[in-house]
Amino acid sequence: MSKHRLRGTLAGPLTVLTVLSAVTLAAAGCGSDAGGSGGGSGPIQIWEGWTGAEAKAFAHLVAEYQAEHPGQKVSTLYVNNDNTLQKVLTAVRGGSPPDIAYLYGSWAPNVAQIPQVVNLTQVVSQSGVNWTDFWTGERDVATVNGKVIGVPALVDNLAVVYNKTLFAKAGLAPPGPDWTWQQFEADAQKLTNAAIKQYGTAYVTPGTEDTVWHWEALLWEAGGQLLSADGKQAAFDSPAGLASLDTLRAMAVTDKSMYLDPTDSAYANLFNSGKIGMLVTGPWDLSGFPNVHYGVQVMPSYPGTNGGHQTISGPDNWVVFNNGSARVSAAEQFILWLTAPAQVRYFSLQTGDLPIRQSVAQGSLSNQMNTALPGVATFVANLGNVRQARPQIPQYPKISQILGTMVVSVLLGKSQPQAALASAAQQVNQVLAAG
Amino acid sequence: MPVRDARARQRRAPGRPGTLRTMVASEHFSGWAFVTPGVAIILLFGAVPIVWSAVMSFQRSNLLSPSTPFVGLANYRQLAHDPIVAQAIQHTLIYTALFVPGTMAIGLFLAVAMNRKIRFISFYRTAAYATMAISTISEAIVFIWLFDPSYGVVNYFFSLIGLPQQQFLNSPSQALYVIVVMTIWGWTGFAVVIYLAALQGIPQALLEAAAIDGAGPWRTFRRITLPLLSPASLFLSVWLTINALQLFDEVYLSTQGGPLNATTVLVYYLYDQAFQQFNFGFASAIAYFLFLVIIVVTVIQFRVGRRFTHYRS
Repeated sequence: MSKHRLRGTLAGPLTVLTVLSAVTLAAAGCGSDAGGSGGGSGPIQIWEGWTGAEAKAFAHLVAEYQAEHPGQKVSTLYVNNDNTLQKVLTAVRGGSPPDIAYLYGSWAPNVAQIPQVVNLTQVVSQSGVNWTDFWTGERDVATVNGKVIGVPALVDNLAVVYNKTLFAKAGLAPPGPDWTWQQFEADAQKLTNAAIKQYGTAYVTPGTEDTVWHWEALLWEAGGQLLSADGKQAAFDSPAGLASLDTLRAMAVTDKSMYLDPTDSAYANLFNSGKIGMLVTGPWDLSGFPNVHYGVQVMPSYPGTNGGHQTISGPDNWVVFNNGSARVSAAEQFILWLTAPAQVRYFSLQTGDLPIRQSVAQGSLSNQMNTALPGVATFVANLGNVRQARPQIPQYPKISQILGTMVVSVLLGKSQPQAALASAAQQVNQVLAAG
Repeated sequence: MPVRDARARQRRAPGRPGTLRTMVASEHFSGWAFVTPGVAIILLFGAVPIVWSAVMSFQRSNLLSPSTPFVGLANYRQLAHDPIVAQAIQHTLIYTALFVPGTMAIGLFLAVAMNRKIRFISFYRTAAYATMAISTISEAIVFIWLFDPSYGVVNYFFSLIGLPQQQFLNSPSQALYVIVVMTIWGWTGFAVVIYLAALQGIPQALLEAAAIDGAGPWRTFRRITLPLLSPASLFLSVWLTINALQLFDEVYLSTQGGPLNATTVLVYYLYDQAFQQFNFGFASAIAYFLFLVIIVVTVIQFRVGRRFTHYRS
């Protein structure tokens, strides 16, 4: 390339850069203008990911709020829930976060690190809010290091959904509320028929958090804990941890009564096709089972432990971001109204989502919900079996990855439960020590 | 005509050089004025993120908290020590080594088979390209069911011909190969179209001359067709390799890197580090490492390819 040419090509980008700086300056000017006018009043911005019946019910509630509160405008923006944090992070960096965003509970410890997130501790302790009316599992997930960073938006839990027809065909009695994992294992074996490719149960094996939280329920039922009380050490390499992994190994490896789903999506179709006897899953799957006659029972227990029939819950939060005090208080007012008993009741009835408040769950509501979506009443009652939340620490995503590998390696028969536990505990301790 | 041109030039020329008017009137300026909006957008959404992620690769950044301390080369050092990075590199290389030649060979075979006048040829050609038009998500769902260990058609055929049943996506030693098959299927249509176009550019006269000289079909193919297809082959090998090194969608949709990291490739690990673990600094370092690998591989391909590529037909 000749020198002349080189100079030419250099001049180009420089010109462009100059023009661009002008454009950027102009854009920045516009941006601050918009920010200035939006800083005071103007509608509060909500990012939510509702679809279908939930979207309809939510839109109705927003309209009702605006009618009841003249002058309060609420504008909603649909964002796929999986991507909300990613987009919020970008918006925060750009100086224009939404006023309220729907964020997964599993993100809470990380969300708490964002400086623009509003501390709601004072707000939810106001007398009218009745904070303790929210389920324990929800409050635990909304609180990071004693600071409330969100108001519960949605709650679910795990229970056992079973195919009544397959149970009857196998001559089995349907599971009762006091059943055990031993019984689950035996039933799964009897429900398995290799000739017609029928499995007793299923488990998701991508090794993601979906793999992990199913196991965490077993660990808690066996009386175990993930971490020590001070959160500094792994505590799952214990008799309870061993019992939980032994149960999974017995079904996946020994009895081959467990369908292993590497995709995290096939199991639901198979259950709806009558190929799987029992599923440990949440209320969100129920509407996908129109073709089978199913029942719902609480999680089995490990007799002789104090774990009982407890289950795990994955609540999500409404998180408020600071765009100036006027907007913050408008956002807080809306969120408190949205999560007040009357609105919670309406939303649950319209959508079949579990009520996020205990007072709403009592009374006729769950029967009404159960008519629309059979089995959901058991999930509502099962919220009482949520006694604890996953550790609320920023290292949890890393720990979850280690646990996912541990569970999958046992399910695939690649490691023995005790060896898998020891290796995972050692890695988790390293992660915790690194801070 | 030339006279008028000269006069016109004269008339336009006067103004003093360097005035605003001459600058505005110059073709150079109006050219830039037209492309500036486009260039600005490309720079804003292309160049800025590229530079920003380069900066991030030297920081400890989780995008959550505002503190982003510079850590020098720590993220790059971590690349060397992270065992999953080593696995991801291995998987990416195995995948690329199988996917690129596989797609090209099958694409070439189909293109040659369809480069003739037979009945329903446009139907066959459309069918071959249809795989490109199918969204990756439907493709992944179809393959998940085809290769399902219990209910899949593939295992059913295996049982018919007496082969043992396989675990496929549930097996750490097989899952990556299922993804190879899945993506070859998805990309073959692309190779077919490129090769078909190249085949139709081969002069009939050369093929006839070879036939007259007594060359059989295989020899004609090896000595005439294949060399004349070499520019298309070079293009495909470069293009498919870049795509292969950036494999993500199929892994995300089918195995999410599992089982036991068996299908964790570099870009999937990058995604996992950035958006699951919030290690944006480390993820940026992976991105720049991959960028370097792609540049090196592409340069090698062009260097080596040049020796085997014939541009004149």
